[in-house]
Amino acid sequence: MTTLDTRPGVVDTPPLFTIAEPRLLASRPWDVPARDQRWLVEAADRVGLLGRGGAAFPVARKLAAVRRGARVLVNGSESEPASWKDRVLMRRYPDLVAAGTALVGRALRTPRMVIAASDAPSVAALQAAALRHGAPIEVHLVEDRFVGGEIGALINGLNQRAAVPSGIRVLPHERGLDGRPTYASNVETFAQLGLLSALGPDAYAAIGAPAEPGTSLLTLHGTTRDGVFEVPHGLELRRLIGPHTGPILLGGYHGTWTTRDDLAVDRARLRTQGIGWGAGVVAVLPEDTCPVGEIARVAGWLAGQSARQCGPCTFGLPAIAGDLADMIVGEHVDTGRLRTRLGQITGRGACHHPTGAIGFVASGLNAFDADVRRHLAGRPCGRAVRGVLPLGAAR
Amino acid sequence: MSRLRMDWTRCDGHGLCARLLPEAITLDEWGFPVIEDITGVDPAAVRTAVASCPQLALRVEK
Repeated sequence: MTTLDTRPGVVDTPPLFTIAEPRLLASRPWDVPARDQRWLVEAADRVGLLGRGGAAFPVARKLAAVRRGARVLVNGSESEPASWKDRVLMRRYPDLVAAGTALVGRALRTPRMVIAASDAPSVAALQAAALRHGAPIEVHLVEDRFVGGEIGALINGLNQRAAVPSGIRVLPHERGLDGRPTYASNVETFAQLGLLSALGPDAYAAIGAPAEPGTSLLTLHGTTRDGVFEVPHGLELRRLIGPHTGPILLGGYHGTWTTRDDLAVDRARLRTQGIGWGAGVVAVLPEDTCPVGEIARVAGWLAGQSARQCGPCTFGLPAIAGDLADMIVGEHVDTGRLRTRLGQITGRGACHHPTGAIGFVASGLNAFDADVRRHLAGRPCGRAVRGVLPLGAAR
Repeated sequence: MSRLRMDWTRCDGHGLCARLLPEAITLDEWGFPVIEDITGVDPAAVRTAVASCPQLALRVEK
C-alpha cells in the first residue's frame, strides 16, 4: 500500500492510498492523445470499461449510442455523502479530468462540454485545468443534494428547470443538455477514458481482473486507515478492510449490507451476488458504535433527501426512519407494519432514491439481525451512535 | 404483455384507480397505489382507470 501525500494548497480531503500500481493517481501527468469516436468505443469495449457513477453501464454502449455533435456532460456532483473519490480526483487530478473531457468532446465534435460539481474547490481546480488545456469546458457549480446528483435531475437543473428527477425518465443520449442528445457520465469515467487513450487498451488491461481490467477509485470508512483508494479490480475486500469481521456496506447509501467475507472488487461478480458496487463506497462499523443507530441515522437523512415529488418516498421513507428511531431506544415497533413498509416502496418512484434507500435499510436490518432483535426486545445495546457513516458534512 | 406505468410525480393518492381496478391495484397506508400484474384484467376496465385518474398519472405501456 502506498500513501500519496496531500499536495500543498489542496483543501482538506481524506488521505489517499493506492494498493498495487497507481494508475489514475500516478504521479506523472498523462499525455492524452486525441482519438476518434470509433477508437474510443472499441477500446472501451475491449477493456470492458463500466461507468463509475453507480449504475455501471458499459461505456462502449453509451458512447456508441450518441452521434457526432452530441453534447458532453461530466457528472462530478458526488452527491453521495460517504463518497469522496470524485472530489479527490477533481481537486488533485483536475488535468486528467479536463483531458478526458476534451478527449470525448473532440471525438464527438461536440458543440458543448459541461462539468458539474457541487463543491467550490473542485470547480476552481477544474476551471484552472480547463484553461491550461485551452479547452472550452464549462465548469458549473451545482446545488449539493442527494437526489440532485441523479443524472436527470442534474440535466433539468443545468437546463434552468427545477433540479429534480423527471416524472417520465428520459435518457441523456436522447434528450440531455439543451434538450439535445448528450453523452453523460461520472467524472471518474472520463478520467478512465483519458487513461485508456494514454495507455492504449493493452497496457490499460495489464492490471486488474480479466473480465474488468484496470482500477477503480473507492472510499473506505470505519477502519483504522479510512480514505480514498485506487485499487486494481479483483482485489479481495479482506485485503482492503483488514482484520475487521462483521457486515460490510458496499455501494453507499443506496447500496447493500452483506455478511459475506469472500467478496472482491469485481462489479460483474458482485452483481451476480445481488450486490451493487455503486459509486465505490465501502464501510464497516467498529465495535463501539450501535449499528442500529448508524442505520437509523442514515435512514433519517435519506428520508430528508427526498425531492418530495412521489408519495411512497415522501411518506414511506420518514415512516421507516421513525420506526428505526424507536428501535434505537428500545421503544415498541410494529414489526409487521415495518416489514410491509419495507416491502412496498421498491420501484415506486420517479427516480431510484426510494428503491436505493430501502435496499440500504432492509439489508442493514438483515445483516445486523442479532442487534436488531435485541433492540426490538426492548434491550438496546447501550452503545453510542458515533456517526461512522458520514452525512452531508462540509464539502 | 402490457403494463400499467405510473408517473409518480403526478400521483396525489386520490385512490380512484384502486376503486376501479381492485383486482390489480391496492392502496398503501398513505393512499398511494400498489400496482400488481394486469395480465388477464379486462382491458376496457384498465382503460377506464387510466382515463379516470384526475392527475393523468397512469398509462398503459405495451
